[in-house]
Amino acid sequence: MRAYFSVFRMRLKMELQYRGAMIGGIICQMFFGIVLVALYHALYESKGQALPIEQVSTYVWLQQAFFRMMVATDPDLNDKIKNGSISYDLCRPVNLYWFYYIRIAAQKLMGSLMRGIPMMIVAFLLPKGWGMSLPASIPGLCSGLVALFLGLLCMCALENITMAFTMRTLDPRGMQSLLGLLMVTLSGNLLPLTLFPDSWQKVITMLPYAQLLDASIRLYSGEYPVSDLPVVLLRQAGWAIVLILLGIWMWESNRKKMIIQGG
Amino acid sequence: MLNTIHLYIRSMGMLLKSHLQYPASFFMQTLAQLVMEGGEMLAVILVIDRFENLKQWSGANLFFFFGLMSVSFYITEFFGRGITGNFPSMVRNGQLDTLLLRPRNVLTQVLCSGVDPRRISCIAVGVTAMIMGSNMSDVSWSFLKVLALIESVLMSCMLILGLFMIEGIFCIHSVKSVELVNALTYGGRSACQYPIDIYPRPLKILFSVVAPFAMTMHVPAAYILGKPLYGWPTWTVFVTPLSGIAVLFVMSMLFNKGIRFYRSTGS
Repeated sequence: MRAYFSVFRMRLKMELQYRGAMIGGIICQMFFGIVLVALYHALYESKGQALPIEQVSTYVWLQQAFFRMMVATDPDLNDKIKNGSISYDLCRPVNLYWFYYIRIAAQKLMGSLMRGIPMMIVAFLLPKGWGMSLPASIPGLCSGLVALFLGLLCMCALENITMAFTMRTLDPRGMQSLLGLLMVTLSGNLLPLTLFPDSWQKVITMLPYAQLLDASIRLYSGEYPVSDLPVVLLRQAGWAIVLILLGIWMWESNRKKMIIQGG
Repeated sequence: MLNTIHLYIRSMGMLLKSHLQYPASFFMQTLAQLVMEGGEMLAVILVIDRFENLKQWSGANLFFFFGLMSVSFYITEFFGRGITGNFPSMVRNGQLDTLLLRPRNVLTQVLCSGVDPRRISCIAVGVTAMIMGSNMSDVSWSFLKVLALIESVLMSCMLILGLFMIEGIFCIHSVKSVELVNALTYGGRSACQYPIDIYPRPLKILFSVVAPFAMTMHVPAAYILGKPLYGWPTWTVFVTPLSGIAVLFVMSMLFNKGIRFYRSTGS
């Protein structure tokens, strides 16, 4: 247990080192946020919707703020699979799955907090309708944070599943970009899930990708009332368990017939 | 000049052949690209489904704008892979040193060093969107309109190549690739797949003057769709896209200046 804990701490510290890249990333992400909000304003001027524009802006900003949590991958592991040094990892007296799960969790957590908090502060300062609105209620905010934590668990599990595919195909490009696309589309980064056709939303909000950020954002903005909280959290926790079990199974079967590249 | 073009075509041919040596992998990746670009288009379709119009632009018009952006952007990534993708890593691992020793312009060699044929599927999606858009908006094609379209795509490619060069120039100085420049390139793609006149003034200025996507794409596209942008006269349709080649020219000058300050990372 202590080994995992120190891996977590080390990765947190390491992610903190990249402050230069962070500022560039924040500005870039802010820019994307502004463009999207401007687009939705123009669209709303053409045809108003039942969903208030403030909620759409809040959705966009929260998605941008936690973008890093969604897309951060472990470059070391990719390299290790490619050049065969993953064999050293197989010798470690730790469970490989959880070793990398903890690493990616630390990376995603620190990376997104470092970028997300400054971004949210700026987004709050933008004029009304363009920036982020306050949470619907205090319980809404708290439950949103709990949901965000469960979402992080799901995200790391998904990341490890992607890695399991990479171990099998040895080339990260094909599968990773396919799964990455599913992620940005179905998690609401490309277009807020709240703007998908209403009949689609019923299905999409059940999928694992909606558990990552969408559930948390909807709790925050009051789209899901606090009374729905048990259902939402149960759904998230259920997916987290399923995805982790699937990942462990995939890693375990990969470990037995791992191809070590090298020469 | 002729020699350079010959060189470029030769290396493109060789690189394409080498990519096709692994047909299964190539096929998979092309498919992945197709799905990815399809996802982008799905977002546009869903937006149109919910909002129907975007100010004066109908849904069909929006498909045309989206298609024009995809075609130009991915043609650039197809043929300009050396600049858009490989260059930062070339600087980081010192590969650029070898280029400096050869008796040809560095920029030419960088351009000759990469091609990305997987983008063909993205281009196909873009073309489909453009055909859909023009059919649904009942565009009556004339010689002038075809000319405007060709010029627009060509100049947009030059513009995008020029913008990607900014990253290269920064890269020479700071070794690390600069995420910030993505705001202009990929940000420009996201923003300008919708017509410029829907955006607030600061964004309008940014994409008309600094990164003139509006000049190379939206002015001609609006003319083709029969709704001239800002009511500008027809001759502007053929003049404003030239800003694309202007950006490319300025950036290649800066690039050639910048390369003199290049310090190898060694190893």
